[in-house]
Amino acid sequence: MVEVPLTDLREGETGIITSIKAGFGHGKRWGLLKRLVDMGLTPGTKVTMVKSAPLNGPVEIYVRGYRLALGRGMAKRITVEVQR
Amino acid sequence: MTEKRLRIALAGNANVGKSVIFNQLTGLHQHIGNWPGKTVEKAEGTLHFRGYTIDVIDLPGIYSLSTFSLEELISREYIAAEKPDLVINVVDASALERNLFFTLQLIELEAPLIMALNQIDMAEKKGIKIDHKKLEEVLGIPVVPTIAVRGKGIYELLNKAIETIEKGVPRANVIKYGVEIEERIEKLIEELKGAQLKYPVRWVAIKLLEGDEQVEREIRKISPRALKLAEKLASEIERIHGHPCPTVITSERYEAAGRIAREVQRILPGIKPLISERIHDLTTHKILGYPIMVLVVLGALQAIFTFGGFTSEILGTLLYSYEPLFESILGLGPLKVIVWGGLMEGLIANITIALPYLIPFYLILYILEDSGYLARAAFLMDTIMHKIGLHGKAFIPIMLGYGCNVPACLGCRIMETERERLLTGFVVTLIPCAARTAVILGLVGSFLGIQWALALYIINLAIVFILGRIAFKMLPGEPTALIMEMPDYKIPHAKTVLKQTWFRLWEFLKISFPLIIASSTIIKLIEMLGFLDSISKALSPITVWWLGLPEITGVILIFGVLRKELTLIMLASLLGTTDFQSILTPLQMFIFALVVMLYIPCVATIAACVREFGWRRALVIALVEILFAILAGGIIYRLMAAFNMLSG
Repeated sequence: MVEVPLTDLREGETGIITSIKAGFGHGKRWGLLKRLVDMGLTPGTKVTMVKSAPLNGPVEIYVRGYRLALGRGMAKRITVEVQR
Repeated sequence: MTEKRLRIALAGNANVGKSVIFNQLTGLHQHIGNWPGKTVEKAEGTLHFRGYTIDVIDLPGIYSLSTFSLEELISREYIAAEKPDLVINVVDASALERNLFFTLQLIELEAPLIMALNQIDMAEKKGIKIDHKKLEEVLGIPVVPTIAVRGKGIYELLNKAIETIEKGVPRANVIKYGVEIEERIEKLIEELKGAQLKYPVRWVAIKLLEGDEQVEREIRKISPRALKLAEKLASEIERIHGHPCPTVITSERYEAAGRIAREVQRILPGIKPLISERIHDLTTHKILGYPIMVLVVLGALQAIFTFGGFTSEILGTLLYSYEPLFESILGLGPLKVIVWGGLMEGLIANITIALPYLIPFYLILYILEDSGYLARAAFLMDTIMHKIGLHGKAFIPIMLGYGCNVPACLGCRIMETERERLLTGFVVTLIPCAARTAVILGLVGSFLGIQWALALYIINLAIVFILGRIAFKMLPGEPTALIMEMPDYKIPHAKTVLKQTWFRLWEFLKISFPLIIASSTIIKLIEMLGFLDSISKALSPITVWWLGLPEITGVILIFGVLRKELTLIMLASLLGTTDFQSILTPLQMFIFALVVMLYIPCVATIAACVREFGWRRALVIALVEILFAILAGGIIYRLMAAFNMLSG
């Protein structure tokens, strides 16, 4: 088991979210991160890398039964645990 | 009660077929407007059923009831404060877990709820079979399976809705969080006891633990102590779990949704990959995706311009054939000039542009959107859009801008935050629309060659990037990121596409018709009163000295505010020839087209900006662009003259 940023998953590889990095403590503005968890990217969730767009483009992941496009900057903040 | 009037709201995620259900329910009895004081679309419709008059409100498509976007705030505010008789939660059966996450929030908000389990055909194609009776049992709310695009289950849904309201909406089963959270929710409920709340107390307690800004603001006024307590309790939960409290609660809610989904659905193995999957792979392909996108966009533009050009000409000829009729009635005096040259020509301009170009434009747009292609284009364009501080979704209004800036401005609503909307709106008004393309091609393209027209587009792109970047740096706010569902490809629903086209067209006409007619009449008046020359003279320091253009262009540029392609027509009529070569030097043509391309959005676009961003911001956008166009025009003129470009 290794921990890597979500963006490091190879296409077709599945990992489990361990944490989302960002200083969003209680009461602070945390719009985008709240959005991430609202879309189902909570710790413990299985995500599969479907596709990674070239030139630092977004990634396409499969999570909770649907396809989600995620900007790379955002995806980098998500740490996943993966069996390698 | 004499009048049996009911209010039913449709709520659900985006791309679940909510608007199709809305259309099936209300037919043409629709009214599309804005939520009071907000630039979020409000779609309402009426239907009559079993002796009731039912108002249906289509709430925006959202994924959660937090405070991420205006749409989310409006939806929960509506459900909690306006208290509709029933909320129909439209759910995509093929992505049940994520949809149930939203359902659970509606239940927590104590909305009177029934569920339309939609797209069960698509789910089955993906090998997902859902036991809707069991789902009904688990959630404690009525569930009606539907296939909205084929009209299946709509009648049953409506029947069930009325039946539920008549019998009294059942209390849904509320999910329980972990004991360490439930204990703290209880404590907060205890603390909030007796307070006047507009939301259900358990929901308020949960939202306080989730750090919901809006709820916090309201509770601060009522019970600062509860707020303090909530902060303390939240940090306790954070200590126990090692994750921020809001994440913990959202996690548990999602776990509950997942548990329910697994309980009621069966996944059948061995389903062969669908065609829609293959199209998806192809259209988001690392390499192939881009040429496909270029083909789609060019193909769409080609179709729009071919159809538009052809129809526009026929309509134009037809309408202009009425000029003698006006002459015979009004004579040749000033009355005819005003009525025909102002009023009627304004009207003709609207008709010859709006109908031939905008109808195919919107049709193609909504086909692309409904099918799911636009989400793929946004995915492909994310990297480039990030360079100007936006994300992939902004590509959609920008692409619209090449057709017409008005729908593009209105299209900025797909951006999530206020800041992103404004930024996208600014960028969009700089995009050369069809009218500006007509000037660029008609002047520069045909007299200087296509390479110079292309040069203008490249300069434009560079300017868009530079100004976009500057605006992005100047506007404070959070960075943005693409977080976008990519729905499965599907065949667009014809009736919904047609209806969307019709309403958009109507919206456009409402904005542009009165404005263009009024302003073309005013300008005609000014012309008749003989002020044209003095205006041109007054502007000559800018036009002649700074931009190196003939004096007459001053007044043309002013007219251009009406419609950009008018500048070319006026240039011809004021100069008395369409052989622009004989009057303008190549450099003058280039600079003129450049200034026309940049200097100000047309009146209709300004009006659209006012609607979306308010007077002040629309004015700032217009002023910035005028100043910038003059500045850029003069500098490029001097540079090109210094390097002897286009001097032959």
